[in-house]
Amino acid sequence: MITKDAEKVAPVTPAPVAEVPPRRPRRQHRAWDEVPRWQIYLPLSVYLVFTLVPFYWILLFALRRPGSTSLVPWPLTFEHFEKVWNERSFGTYFQNSVLVGVVTLLMTTLVALAGGYALARFDFRIKRGFMLALLCSQFVPGALLLVPLFQIFAELRMINSLGSVILAETVFQLPLSIILISTFIKNVPYALEEAAWVDGCDRFTAFRVVVLPLLRPGLIAVGSFAFVHSWNHFLFALMFLSNQEKQTIPVGLNTLLSADSVDLGALAAGGIIAAVPVVIVFAFIQKWLITGFSAGAVKG
Amino acid sequence: MTHLRNKKISNHRSRRAALAVALGFVLALTATACGDDGSGTGGDKGSEGSGKGEIVFWDNNGGVRTDIWKEIIADFQKANPDIEVEYVGIAATEYQSKVDTAIQGGGLPDVGGVGAAMAAGFAAQGALEPLDGRLSKSSLNGKLNEAMVESLKSAGGGEALYSIPTSANNGVLYYRTDLFKAAGLDEPTTWDTFYKAAEKLTDKDKNKFGYTIRGGAGSIAQALDAMYGQSGITSFWDSSGEKTTVNDPKNVAALEKYVGLYKKVTPAAGLNNDFTKMVAQFDSGTIGMLNHNLGSYQDHVKAFGDKFRGIPQPTGPGGKRVQVSNPVDGLGMFRSSKNKEATWKFIEFALSHEENSKFNESAGQVPANNEAAKDEWIQQAEPTKLAAAALTDGSTSIVQLPYYLPDWNTISKADNEPAFQKVMDGQTSAKEFLDALAHQLNKAQAEWNEQQG
Repeated sequence: MITKDAEKVAPVTPAPVAEVPPRRPRRQHRAWDEVPRWQIYLPLSVYLVFTLVPFYWILLFALRRPGSTSLVPWPLTFEHFEKVWNERSFGTYFQNSVLVGVVTLLMTTLVALAGGYALARFDFRIKRGFMLALLCSQFVPGALLLVPLFQIFAELRMINSLGSVILAETVFQLPLSIILISTFIKNVPYALEEAAWVDGCDRFTAFRVVVLPLLRPGLIAVGSFAFVHSWNHFLFALMFLSNQEKQTIPVGLNTLLSADSVDLGALAAGGIIAAVPVVIVFAFIQKWLITGFSAGAVKG
Repeated sequence: MTHLRNKKISNHRSRRAALAVALGFVLALTATACGDDGSGTGGDKGSEGSGKGEIVFWDNNGGVRTDIWKEIIADFQKANPDIEVEYVGIAATEYQSKVDTAIQGGGLPDVGGVGAAMAAGFAAQGALEPLDGRLSKSSLNGKLNEAMVESLKSAGGGEALYSIPTSANNGVLYYRTDLFKAAGLDEPTTWDTFYKAAEKLTDKDKNKFGYTIRGGAGSIAQALDAMYGQSGITSFWDSSGEKTTVNDPKNVAALEKYVGLYKKVTPAAGLNNDFTKMVAQFDSGTIGMLNHNLGSYQDHVKAFGDKFRGIPQPTGPGGKRVQVSNPVDGLGMFRSSKNKEATWKFIEFALSHEENSKFNESAGQVPANNEAAKDEWIQQAEPTKLAAAALTDGSTSIVQLPYYLPDWNTISKADNEPAFQKVMDGQTSAKEFLDALAHQLNKAQAEWNEQQG
């Protein structure tokens, strides 16, 4: 503003400028060049060692023969994987975990979309109280609600069914998901929806055609959170499912630790089976995930 | 007109989409539902039932024992075609919390693993069926190890037998015979030879250690074993039965000596060692000796073949061996069972000579069935044979830990494991630690005595 006023008072005729070759944006390059490479690579290497050595250890135990103390997994063996997949029912646990993860992802995302839209676009009397309740619900640990949840699911005849785990996971993930999605929706200009209405869309169509495509990073962030959390969550599956055929991967992993002996090879192989889907999910979505987090972090 | 028609079509689409989403939810939950009502809480009294139909069995050490239990169940169903047993393997670490939740919320099984460490807690909540009457009329009467039966009866509060013993574990000192031979050491049969060997086998520069100590989960029971083993005190309570002997000066001195091993002849990581880490350290080949129980025997066989031995704990003053009791494992019937007759048939079958022998051979533990304890496989499994002998031939005094105290698990785990780490780390003295432990135990014992009248 000050600059604009000053220009109005005393317009300045631009002085003839000698032709200068366009400057390259060298500042960044200089900063990079001035830092010795070792100062960048050394901390990164130390960090990588701390991160990757445990993974190497898991691979080592999973791929080397039972009883071997070699630091290199050679000759390779897949017998631990065969054992946990076939003998320890990890094939079944894997299918159950996929079902729980995918259905939780879909339900969480869809309900969070509806709830988030309502919070972002409508004003209603208990809106602030509702937001506060959503935030407060995050402070209650799941373990505290185990017995009441168990009794509710028992009344609904849902004990020993994957539906109980899916429902519990969805309910526990919704508060954070709704808050996140509502922030994303607030960042989409309302005028875009209004323009769609003018063009003949109703509210739902305008949302579906105009707003929804812009929410992709947010949906991916919320969906991946829901999937990974339900994939890794142990407590609800342990408590609500008793039938062996309905157990999930985290519970299966736990059974590899007995009261007084442990098969580290099988445990490592089970750990890799449990980690692979999460790694794949993050490898594919990391681009959108980072966009999603940064978009949600800054209020527009 | 066109605009109105478009709006109508759009509204129809919206409704269809909303309907599809709602239908999707219902279908998803229906497809994954079809569960049960999880009935059976701690307060249910259950019923005898017809002696036929389905019963549910919760294994308290699921995973490693799954195969052998499925084999026993298959044998049982062959012998009793009108009874079906549903097996549920639950990890040992989560078993108590799962049962406790089911006692409060419902969903208890008909039969489950009930070891000495859990019997008091479950019985106090009224969840277990007394089994004395059934046992006295059973073909098993007189055929089970009397000490194990007494141990479980005492663990359940002493008034009734809530769990029929299946097996006993015992503390074992594993040592590497190849390393001992190379160092010219005698086998560590006494505490003196144990300490000497631990020192001689340690070469920190080469990352070799004589011993690995348990400083993480389960540390208290192991420390008590070392204390009473060295002090030679044979009872957990003094003659009045009201004051514990854990802080007796002899035990304090024994703990000081034992904790002195930490970092001197053990890896520094021992501070956080639970049994998993401790066994993994020993099996990595850099450790000379390990105190654990019979359960890890097969892990060491895989790692070393015949280059190790598992012997009973070293002897103390006057050549006397003193050990603390290891929890006896067993099968309990839950009071809420609606088919108690069939449940008892299963317990009886699992405790029969053949099945109990089969189970313990697989688990590497000492059978509760006296006939099974004489079977050939025990003679071939050296640590089990020695443990069975130590438990039965009178050469060993067993200090009975107070599993019957409802607070025992809390006192011996959550309350004092972090405090024991402080002793290892030199922040607290052994005497301060044992005095505080004794105070808690005496208080719990007084409360227990008061409840018992």
